[in-house]
Parts: sequence; structure tokens; C-alpha cells
Amino acid sequence: MERELATLEKGARCCSWSYCGQRLAVGYNDGSVAVHDSGDSSSATSFTCSFKWLVSPPLSLLTATLLYPEPKAAEANKPLSISFAVEKFKVQPGGIMNIIWIPPEFGDAIACVCVDGTLSVWEEVAEDIQSMMWKQCKIFESRTSRVLEVQFGVSATSLKMVAAYSDGHLKVYELLNPLELDKWQLQAEIQNVIDSVSIFGKPTCISASIAWCPRRDESQKLSFALGFNSDLPQFNSSKEFSIIQIWEFDEAHQRWLPVAELASSVDRDDRVHAVAWAPNIGRPYEVIAVATCKGISIWHVGLNSEFDGKRPTEKITLLSGHDGEIFQLEWDMSGMTLASTGDDGMVRLWQSNLNGVWHEQASLDCNGEQ
Amino acid sequence: MPGRPSDTKDALVPFPPEAETVPLYPVQHGVKPPIFRVFVSWSRGNVLQVACIRPIEDESVREERNGAGEGGDIGGKVMEVKLGASDGNVEEAERRRIAYGSVAPFALLQSRRNSLATIYRVSSSSSVTEWWQHVLEYSKSISELLGNTALPSSSVIEDPKMVFQATARPTPLKAAWQLMEIFYVDRHSFPWILECLVDWLGEYDGLLSDTEVIVHRKLVKLQEKLVNVQVIEDDSEYWEGISSALSIGWLEVVVKLLRLHGSYQLDQLDSRETENGLVEAVAVLVSTMPRMRLDLPMGKLGQCYRTKPDFVKGLEEMEGLAQKCMQLKQCPTSSGLVGLLIGILGESTEVVMAECLKSFGPWMVTHSLELLTTDSDQTEILLHEERYSLGGISIMELHRLIYAQVLSSHPLTWQIAPTYLVSCPKQGLGLLEILLYKQPLQNHVMILKNLEICRLYELERISSCVKEIAGIYHWKHGRKGCGIYWFQQAHDEARLNHIAQKLFECVGIADETSKRWEGLIELLGPEVESAGGLGFLHKYQNFKKSLQKVKDASSTDAAQQTVELLIQVKLLNWRDRPLLNVTETNLLLSKLQELSTAKLRPEFYQSDLPPRALSSVRLALATNLSRTFLEG
Repeated sequence: MERELATLEKGARCCSWSYCGQRLAVGYNDGSVAVHDSGDSSSATSFTCSFKWLVSPPLSLLTATLLYPEPKAAEANKPLSISFAVEKFKVQPGGIMNIIWIPPEFGDAIACVCVDGTLSVWEEVAEDIQSMMWKQCKIFESRTSRVLEVQFGVSATSLKMVAAYSDGHLKVYELLNPLELDKWQLQAEIQNVIDSVSIFGKPTCISASIAWCPRRDESQKLSFALGFNSDLPQFNSSKEFSIIQIWEFDEAHQRWLPVAELASSVDRDDRVHAVAWAPNIGRPYEVIAVATCKGISIWHVGLNSEFDGKRPTEKITLLSGHDGEIFQLEWDMSGMTLASTGDDGMVRLWQSNLNGVWHEQASLDCNGEQ
Repeated sequence: MPGRPSDTKDALVPFPPEAETVPLYPVQHGVKPPIFRVFVSWSRGNVLQVACIRPIEDESVREERNGAGEGGDIGGKVMEVKLGASDGNVEEAERRRIAYGSVAPFALLQSRRNSLATIYRVSSSSSVTEWWQHVLEYSKSISELLGNTALPSSSVIEDPKMVFQATARPTPLKAAWQLMEIFYVDRHSFPWILECLVDWLGEYDGLLSDTEVIVHRKLVKLQEKLVNVQVIEDDSEYWEGISSALSIGWLEVVVKLLRLHGSYQLDQLDSRETENGLVEAVAVLVSTMPRMRLDLPMGKLGQCYRTKPDFVKGLEEMEGLAQKCMQLKQCPTSSGLVGLLIGILGESTEVVMAECLKSFGPWMVTHSLELLTTDSDQTEILLHEERYSLGGISIMELHRLIYAQVLSSHPLTWQIAPTYLVSCPKQGLGLLEILLYKQPLQNHVMILKNLEICRLYELERISSCVKEIAGIYHWKHGRKGCGIYWFQQAHDEARLNHIAQKLFECVGIADETSKRWEGLIELLGPEVESAGGLGFLHKYQNFKKSLQKVKDASSTDAAQQTVELLIQVKLLNWRDRPLLNVTETNLLLSKLQELSTAKLRPEFYQSDLPPRALSSVRLALATNLSRTFLEG
């Protein structure tokens, strides 16, 4: 039933797969990233590490360092292909927190979110006959806040990136040239996602989750689901506060609008750990899974807004099973099976039966031999 | 509907069935515990990739631990887990052979369904008959695919002591298919359904259960005994064997067993004449037992009757059979065949579907649903009714989607998934698009295969998407020409415009990089049409060249050529910005003036310039000049 695909080096912290599952990017605690490739489409192959480089070098390493493959002796004097804009780089020792692959229409590229909150975009390129290399295209820096989470969405004309910051702001960037990943334009900045509910002062956001609606056709509006967790300052203390919203792009007025909230007011102290928007292959409604401390809730969201501009929502079920925090939610290609992972070292698989009742279908224990 | 929430009978993807408790699979990854994080990603179909990562240790702790390594000196492992790997009875290669073999019959049946629907808009008796013929043909093709029927012993000299031959174990899949064919499709067999069942049991009884006492096992055991036992009629198993074989109609076995009766022994014949007569009478009776069927294969006993005189008796016997199955059902390890039989006899489509899925996997459900709908309107409605709880699709479609997803899981079978997906009216194409998008598009053969499928099913959006992915991949990996080719194929104006802009800036500038770009323009080919959005670059390049000639030689020919190029290209009306500077525009204007004057001379050769060409060029140049001034 199972087979081994790759071994990860010590210090691995996060990993992410490309659109077809054939490439794997692993983020390390020392700030390096490794890209593993599986040979071709044949099933008998496993992943081999093709590149490893430092994204955020520790203080002692201010020059660009390619870790793998090791430069050959003859090439050692050549300028290294992995380029760091060191002077711009806010160097901090700290690992890679998250890696996100950019949609394949824009090349083989990843975005790395570091623990210190910097966000950098890297792409694989080959100039002429030179061998392939990973090149840094862009660093997003902010003096005042850290990037918590980033996700990419493809519109008819361009690539959009939505980033959630620790000050509660939400920024939507647009790629200006579909051939180059270095020029991004800030299309929208939403400042009051959390602010609107804060009376006593600026909240601090602890974590965020974003999931774009996987689009089926050009006529469909761009939208994404956003989960924000923050500390709200109270009189003498602070209170945790969470919000899950759906934002939709209003093409006519070129603005983003919140069209639904996936929580009742009683759920607002329930921290959101993960959000996943199911692929819709033709259902008359969207399905979104939200993982909170209480479990996994499955939501149905109407395809279109009602007269008040809001999308109808319905919480179908609350699934419990994980012992501890839920870490990741992943829908399969048809949107029929949801996989969840948690602190308990388990992968749980959830499905709905013929009557539309959700239940746990199977679980994988990844804790190893005790 | 089978109702319980956690009932695996109605699960979407068939994980092995354990209704009460959720099945738990330990993933053997060999990473030393504890595990800090688990990451998952769905690969193609039902394949899940799982990364198990160890906690990050402090420098000090790491040093301490350095001595005791073993599995602790790695950061983690990535595993691939295949889910819903059904039917363990069928080898993977065999399963693929069946999967490939069943595509053509399935597709043929679908196309026949569609054409029948077009011909007979309303369901008529003739359309029903025709449809039934098609389904029968389909069923026979699939059945053939699942293996040959066991042939009767071909040995010439029969061993009198060989009453029962345990043949090579047939597959349960074939048995299940045959069973469904008997009950749902083969209308010729309907009046003789009981006899069909007897034949079926003759072939497959051994598959009914692995643990319970079934006739097959009884007889195998008895067969072993026969060789050694002298006075067989004193053994109760002998009589039990006879009665069991008789109860399910295996007359040949009964007669053979009877003839082993001690009274047939030569040395006893005299003393046991009456007894022997009785046994023989029974044997004769059994061999001429009336059977309600058209004919009998060679070697089979009984007398055929084509009418229904024994109908009532048949019914009774059938009940007996059903009861036998009911009893067997209670044993937990009963094979799916018993469940299937119970479902069929109980006329419960839901149970039949659930058993098919549970015991034989998504292939069986998808293909056998075609058999279920031939005779019953109620089943037809049950299977085709669109359900909100399923996201607006029918059960039929759901099972096809599930099967397609199973096919998508393997690189050798994903290519046949589209046949099943296009037979799904609501969500098939949606899933097909995702399936195509998820294929690794670095591979040229994969791209071509992918585009072929897109063309076949008119999936233009995904086709452009695939071309764009291919284009950007080549563009980013040093194969610019190839990249442009795919962008042009995708009609990707946005990217082509950006490339054009880049090339445009280089045209005419004599340095290294521009030479490379000019080479690229040449590469795009002299046929400007095929170059799509970049065609104008050729013209612009030629124009620049001839403009250079005008400056150098100031000949009338060159001037004329330049003007022609201008008219041809309409570059002067280039909207983004003026393409010629003040000096160039003035030069052209003066050349134009020369041309106008030349026209008046007697030796002027009338070229085929459009009548208003000169004035329109003059106007364009003037506009250009004014814009140049403004921008300057």
C-alpha cells in the first residue's frame, strides 16, 4: 500500500508539492530550501534532490550559497547561479516557515515565507545551454509587520497573490508581466479585516490561513477564503479572536468585497488552523473545509451572491477525530475526499455518503513504531 | 438507501469495509519517533503523498544524541500511500488488462445508448428490445474478458472413482459477473433461471465461502475419502454428499456417487440384488430428472423440457437455495458472492451495488450498473436520479467518477479515464479538466497526449492552459523559440505582446543581445501569418533595413521599397508610440515628395501602388511627425 519516495535531511521543517506532485520543495530550519524531483511520469520512480540552496542565510553566511549540487572544481570560480540580493535581504537566522508553489502557467517557481516574516519568490530558470538554477526574483519586505501566509490565484489575465500580515492587513498583489516574476503591483490593501471589531487598539495577528477558490471558467468571479487569528487588546489583557471570511473581486468596480463569513459569533474565540476550498467539478454549491480547535467544519457556500451582496452559507457538519491541533487540510482532485493532518501524527480521510452525511472513512497512523 | 452515517456500503471511495470502527493503517516509514509534523498532498487520483517530519532539535540536544543515531539522523521521509486498493484477489497487471479491455465495450454501449436515444425519442418496445440486445452483447464481451468458463473434463477414459473434479479456481469477479448476467441481462435464460443457477453453482460453488461447509468443499473432502473406504454406504458423508449434490442439481455427481454403492461390487451383486436394483432405479430417476431448459451440454444428465411443468417445483428449489444463502450470510467471512446472490434474490439494487463495490471494487460497480438498468424502470430511476446530496449528480455518474479517479491514480491507466468521464453528463468534464491539468507537462509526449484528449472532447480552455504551461516551461528553460511556439498555439496575446515588446526594442540595434533576438525573429519563419502576433516584427525589421539603404544610397528604388513596406505594415499608425524619430520622418517625407515628382516624368514606371497610397502615407507620416514632436 505504501512506498518510500524520499528521505529528508535533518532540520526539515515544511514541504510542499508542485501542481502535478512530481516536484517537492522542502524548507529547512537553517533557512535553506531543497527541491526534489521525481524522474518522470512512471510510477516506479522516487524523488531525488536536484537542488538545495539558502533562502535566508544565517548571519555568518552573507554570500550566496548553493548547497546542492556542489559546484564542480572548474566552475568554482564562476559567479554562483543562486543570487542573493544580500544588501536588501533582511538577514535573520531562522527557518523557512512555509513554501507555496506558484501556478504552473507562470513557470516552476515557489514563494518562501520565513520565520522572520520575509517573503521571497524564487524560480527555476536556464539561460541558454547553462544548467538549470534557482533564481531569486523578488523579496517582499515590510518593516512593520510579518507575512503570515500567502496564496496564489490565477485570473483570466494575470497572477494574483494574497498575503496576510501580522498587523491584520491583507494585501493583494498582481503580477505585471506574465513572463517575469519580479514585478508585482499592489492591487488592494485591506486594512480593516480585524480592525473593525477592535475597539481598544491595534490587534496583533498570530496566524492566518488562505484558500483561493479553484476556478472552473473565466466567467466565475475571483474569490478566496481567509482565516485570521489575532489577539485583541482588552482593558488590561488581551482576548483571542478569529474570523473566517470569503472575499470576492468585484470586476466592475475593481475592488475586493467580503461576501460571507463562515462562523457564527459564538465561534469567534475558536482559533482557525486551516482552510481548504474544494475543487468544484460541477456542484451547484462550493464546499469549504475549516479546521478550528473544535474540529473540522464543512461549509456549503452558494455560487452567487444574493440581493444583499452576500453569498448564502450553511454549516453542514462539524467533524471531530484529531487529538490536538489540526495542521493541514487537503481536498482530492474531485473534491469528494478531504485529508486532514494533525498534531496527533494522524492523517484522517473524510467523505460524505450517499445521503450527504460526512464521516471519517479511514485514517493513517504516521507515528512510527513506538 | 442504506442509511447509517458510517456505513461503508455507501462510501464514495471504497476503502476496505469496517462499518463500526474507522479502519486504521499504520504507515511504515522507518523514521524514529516522535513525528513533529505530517504533510499531505493528493497526487493523481487516490494516491496520497505523506511527508513525516521529525522535530527540530537544539544544537546541544543534537550533540548529545549524536552517539545513538539509527533513524534519528534524518529529517523525515516522504511516502506514497495508495488508497482504496481494492480486490486483493486480482493482480495489478490483471486488473489493468481488464481495465483496458473493458474500455471498448463500455464506450460502444454508451454510443449505442446515445444513438438509440436519438432514434427513438420515446421509449418504445422495439427500442427496449434493441437496447437489451446491446447490453447482452456488452455483457458477453466483459465476461469473456474476465476469463474462460471451466470446460468439462476432456479425458476419454473416466475414472469411475473420480466423482468430483476440483477444477482450477475460477475468479470471483467472473462468477459475480456471470451471476448478474443470468439475472439481469440474459432474457433467454429467464424461464430457465434456476437451471442457469445450477450451472453457475457447478462452476463457482467453491468460491462461495472459504470457511463454511459448502457443497463444493463437502465433495472435495468426500472425493479424498473415496479412494480408501471400502464400504462407502456405511459412511454418513457419502449420503450427505449425495443429498447436497442433488439439492443443487448436480445430477452427474449424484449418479456417479450412487454407482459407487457397495451393492455394485461384483462379489456382492448376488446377495444384494434388491438393494442394487433400488440404487440403480434411483440413479436412472436422477439421470432423467426433468430439467426446464433448452438443451444440455455433453455429459450432463437430465431430461430437457421447454415448457413450465416443473415451475412450482423450481420455485421451491429456488427458495431452498435462497435459504441456504441466508444461512451462509450470517458467517462473517462469507465471500461477496453470497451477499451478491442475496441482493439479487432479494431484488435489492442497493445491496447488489454495495456488494459489488465492497467485494469487487469500483470497476465492477461502474460496469455492472449497465446490466442493472436493462429490465427495471425503478432501478433506472434509482440510478439516474440527480441528487442534491451528491452535488447534483446521479449514483450512476458518481460511480463512474470514482472509477475514473481510480484509473487516474496510475500513470498507465489515466489515459482511459476520459472515456468514463465523458459519459458523465454533469461533472465528468470538470474532473477531466483537473485530471489533464495535473499531468506533468514537462514531458513532450505527455503534452501531445494531453492536447489530443483536449481536441477530442473540445476542451479549449484546458488546451490553452496546457499550451501556456508548456510555453512558459520552455521559455524559462532557455528554449525561447519553443516557448513562443506554444504561446502562439495558445493564442496567448498577453505573453506574446510582452515578448514582442522585448524583441521590438532590440530590432535594428546592432549589439550581441539584439543579434540573438533577431535570430529569434528569423526563427519565427518568413511566413508572417504563422508567426501570429509577432508577424509585424518581420515587416518592421525589413522596413528598418530598407530605411538604412535609403540613407546610404538615396536611390529611388530604395525609397519606393520603403514606402511599399510602410503601406504594407501600417507601422506608421502604430498606436503605442511613434516608431520614427523626427529625422527619419523628414527623410521619408522628402522621399515621398521625390516619388510624387517622379510620377510626373515620362519614364516613370507605374508600380501597383493603391491609388490613395501616397496621400495616406503622407498623412500618416505627418501624424507621426507631430507625435514625435510632442513626445520629444
